[in-house]
Amino acid sequence: MMEILEYIGLAMVLIGGLFLFLGALGIYRMPDVYNRLQAGTKASTMGAMSVIMGVGFIEPDWFFKSLIIVVFIAIANPLSSHALARGAYRASLTPFMKKKMDAYEKEFQQKKED
Amino acid sequence: MKKLLVLLLLAVVGYSLYKPLSQVEFGADRIGDIENPTTVGAYYLSHTPSDLSVANVITAIVVNYRGFDTLGEVSVLFLAATGIGSILYRRRKEGEHSETITQPSSQLLQAGAKLIYPAILVLGAYVFIHGHLTPGGGFQGGAIIATGFLLMMMSYKDFHMNHTVLTWVESLAGITFVSVGIGGLIVGKTFLENFLAIGTLNDLFSGGIIPIIYIAVGFKVAAELAGVLDTLLSIKEK
Amino acid sequence: MELFLISVIILAVLLLAVAVYAVMQKDLLYATIATGIISLILSVLFFLLQAPDVALTEAAIGIALTTIIFVITIRNTSRREDEILITQESEASKIDDKVKANM
Repeated sequence: MMEILEYIGLAMVLIGGLFLFLGALGIYRMPDVYNRLQAGTKASTMGAMSVIMGVGFIEPDWFFKSLIIVVFIAIANPLSSHALARGAYRASLTPFMKKKMDAYEKEFQQKKED
Repeated sequence: MKKLLVLLLLAVVGYSLYKPLSQVEFGADRIGDIENPTTVGAYYLSHTPSDLSVANVITAIVVNYRGFDTLGEVSVLFLAATGIGSILYRRRKEGEHSETITQPSSQLLQAGAKLIYPAILVLGAYVFIHGHLTPGGGFQGGAIIATGFLLMMMSYKDFHMNHTVLTWVESLAGITFVSVGIGGLIVGKTFLENFLAIGTLNDLFSGGIIPIIYIAVGFKVAAELAGVLDTLLSIKEK
Repeated sequence: MELFLISVIILAVLLLAVAVYAVMQKDLLYATIATGIISLILSVLFFLLQAPDVALTEAAIGIALTTIIFVITIRNTSRREDEILITQESEASKIDDKVKANM
């Protein structure tokens, strides 16, 4: 039983490491802020959550602690990325590709009129 | 030219730090034998569990062996906060609408901040209540609580600290620290002497006066830093 | 032990590089972010060198509070280092003109 748990944990750590590597690659490869943010945040959220849960599986004593950390990462990481992207939009950094849809434009214009 | 001077100064400081430290081998055991202490560090390591029954030796040094220094440190922080407050604090007129930030934050961020804020406060309180058992203590816990208040100030435009409450909390914490010290003077021989029962090692209620002092320091630091941040964020833009 | 030594050395070199960047940078906002990164690396280093309580302090104060205080200060003054000098000089010359006019 314990060995199975350990193998699951090791596999999760491996998957997490792969995702973290892909996130780093995305930050290096992507052309502009928004793409980099999305590559970095999505991959690193998944990677960090997977690694920490894997550690929780390898050491069953730490399971609940790692669960709490995972919940915290699941809340905090996308939020910080959202705030960064919003800040970049407010600083009027243009995206690499032409905008097809811009939901923020309306919101900011309404606020300006208020 | 200025940059060069700065780098030169850094190089001088680095050299003078490197010179004495290069005598010591990296990672060398400088404390020596703990059982028969010859250095101060070894004395603290060997005597803290039996004398004070405190698991975190650093806390024992900071609050008990060197408690007077900590009182000085706390008053330095108090003076810094007072200085910033006396320069920048502006009493709001009645009915005056004052905003802490210029840009409104998004709904998502506000909801998330509401979720995380109590967790940060609980973490800070945990850090300074368990200061004598786990790494951390009053200063760390207070700083963590202040970051929680900062998160709320950044995400809500109308989130303000109540400066009257902050003043009361800070003063009461300072009075607690000093009166515990004077209690040591009355019961025992010296200022800040441990006059309460020390309890058993690794218990929450152990270590005599150490948890009381660290809880007071935690409240004090949190109140000071939150007050400084609120004062700074309320400045009107030029 | 070897891995530990290597990671400490890599972090220390990174720390020095970011510190030099922070000193040389003309844009004060970038320099502030660089000081935040210095605090981040420093707190990891403290943790590796078995001082978790110092790492906690550094993480809370260095990364969050100091950076925010600097950012607020930059918002209320000026963002570029040379601009500050220029405004100071122009204000000083204004004061000089006033003094001369009064004389």
